[in-house]
Amino acid sequence: MAAAAGPRVSEREAILARVRRGATRRAVHPGAHPPPPLAAGWDAFAAALAEVGGEAHGPFATHAVNDALVELVRRRAEGGRVVAEPSAAELAGRGPWEVAREPAVGHAFADVAVALVLGCTAAAECAAVAVLERDAPHRALPFLCQRLVLLLPAASLEPDLHRAWARLPLAAWRGHHVTWISGPSKTADIEQTLVYGAHGPLGLDVVGIA
Amino acid sequence: MTASFDARALATLPSRGELAQHDAAVWDLRRRRDAAAARVPDWEALRERAAALKAFSLDHLEELLVLFEERARAAGAHVHWATDATSLCRIVSELLAARGARRVVKSKSMLTEECGLNRHLEARGIEVVDTDLGERIVQLAGERPSHLIVPAIHKTRREIGALFHRTLGTPKGEDDPERLTRFARADLRRRFLAADAGITGANFAVAESGSIVLVTNEGNADLGTSLPPLHVACLGIEKVVPALADLPVFLRLLARSATGQPISAYTSVLTGPRRGGELHLVLVDAGRGALLADPAHRSALACIRCGACLNTCPVYRRAGGHAYGTVIPGPIGSVLGPAFANGEAGELPHASTLCGSCSAVCPVKIDLHGQLLAWRGERRAARAKGARRPSPRERALVACAAFVLSRPALLAPARAAARLAWPLLARRGPKSPAAAWLSERELPPLPRESFRAQWRRRRGRA
Repeated sequence: MAAAAGPRVSEREAILARVRRGATRRAVHPGAHPPPPLAAGWDAFAAALAEVGGEAHGPFATHAVNDALVELVRRRAEGGRVVAEPSAAELAGRGPWEVAREPAVGHAFADVAVALVLGCTAAAECAAVAVLERDAPHRALPFLCQRLVLLLPAASLEPDLHRAWARLPLAAWRGHHVTWISGPSKTADIEQTLVYGAHGPLGLDVVGIA
Repeated sequence: MTASFDARALATLPSRGELAQHDAAVWDLRRRRDAAAARVPDWEALRERAAALKAFSLDHLEELLVLFEERARAAGAHVHWATDATSLCRIVSELLAARGARRVVKSKSMLTEECGLNRHLEARGIEVVDTDLGERIVQLAGERPSHLIVPAIHKTRREIGALFHRTLGTPKGEDDPERLTRFARADLRRRFLAADAGITGANFAVAESGSIVLVTNEGNADLGTSLPPLHVACLGIEKVVPALADLPVFLRLLARSATGQPISAYTSVLTGPRRGGELHLVLVDAGRGALLADPAHRSALACIRCGACLNTCPVYRRAGGHAYGTVIPGPIGSVLGPAFANGEAGELPHASTLCGSCSAVCPVKIDLHGQLLAWRGERRAARAKGARRPSPRERALVACAAFVLSRPALLAPARAAARLAWPLLARRGPKSPAAAWLSERELPPLPRESFRAQWRRRRGRA
């Protein structure tokens, strides 16, 4: 690679020189977009999630979360392997799931039926839940599992993406990934017929925690 | 329209049934976009903001690119610069060769299509699997995508069923979309797990953090970047935006404009390599820098590849994406094609009715129909220099038409004569005086009464 370093530097300079010729530097940054007048609340989120193929449950009081999750996971896993990320397991308590331990390569999750992951915040307008590296260190797990269950503190819900975005902790951006998940994996590539589970999870449940 | 465009359209969507199906499928996407936009109270304000953000980004691109490079490197990514397609292909193939990578999973990237990366890598014995289902379908069929968002929109389920039977061993006659998708899922999961490297594009790049943003509905980009040890992201230099806080503006517009969804299923902001992995970012010019320096056309670089202009375009809907002969079809392809100067693309601005619908739906407010018109003007001016002079017959016809059309008193007898000559003009066959024109059109039978005659009669009644 070192031998090719010379020409690459010149390509950089050539590109920047071209770009410089096109700049007038007159355009002004428009600033932040004012948040839209949208309704917040769990019901709005649940309705938006249903539209994108997911299912909302709860929100449950903290003491009732474990029972709700155990019942949901049993139904979804149908005897298959269930793996919870550590932060989700901490909230969920004990149940028919193993806790993902590090280090684990992504391939170790190829047979997971259900994964439990904690969401950080969500936007009700589009049912998008933010999943941070902090809470989902095993990057492949939410995509390799057959069904994904996201735990979401209901108080973290925001009406729109701008406000939900602003709510993310600054440290989130220092991690490798922030993924917004809205519904299960889907495709309509064959005659525009909507099919859930193109590559990632076939289904998505979001369990609210009051 | 142009002869080559027409020929390609006729060759790729031949039957009336397929045309109607294509038209309806594409128009359905447009209707979904309208419904989604109507539910967003600040839709027009979002479009304004997105246009302003893109204008700012393009106007400060040098600083943003330098900052992006610095922050991406600080986060642990390797940054490469490629002036053209050849350079991009060389960089990627060197990266793969140095790590002995033979199996690559790739998510949708119009840039790598444009640069012919798959062909380049395959010629070096590397297996490249497109993992977006639509892209996989056209890859197995040996075709190009015909739509930015729905690459196989030109294919029927029967065609896809037969293709999968031939290439993936699905049962003969199987054409159920859900079962076909399950077969593809099983096949591609195996390939994700066995891959040595993942190649992606990027929907956006963020200068302040050195992050890239990957947006998919299928989750294929996330699988392709979370399993193999090496991730190579190829992105056009115009993808850079200033800040993370700018992204929600684009993300609220992108999927709604594309398919009518409020947001795509997965939006991943990736900063640096994942633990134990390696990330290489290739910033590609390939004509973008030159376009940026052209004030008349630079705004085309603001495109976020949603496909809304394709879905609304009456020409795209009826001709199909392959008629354009370029990687990016539709109005945005007709604007970018001449700029990137690949062969016949100079003709593409004529593949438009200039109805303006493309500009009306563009989420970043690119004046697409204005640009199409401008390209036509430039092409005409360029051709006028060495153009052939009209033949004496053409000059006589034009002079005759000008004489008649500028004298209302002559119009009535001219119209009457035209009505008499109509059956002769409409006759098909090599000896018809309008043979060339009629080869692709039909002259409908004339109504018994002309518009003027009807007008006079109805006014008389009133």
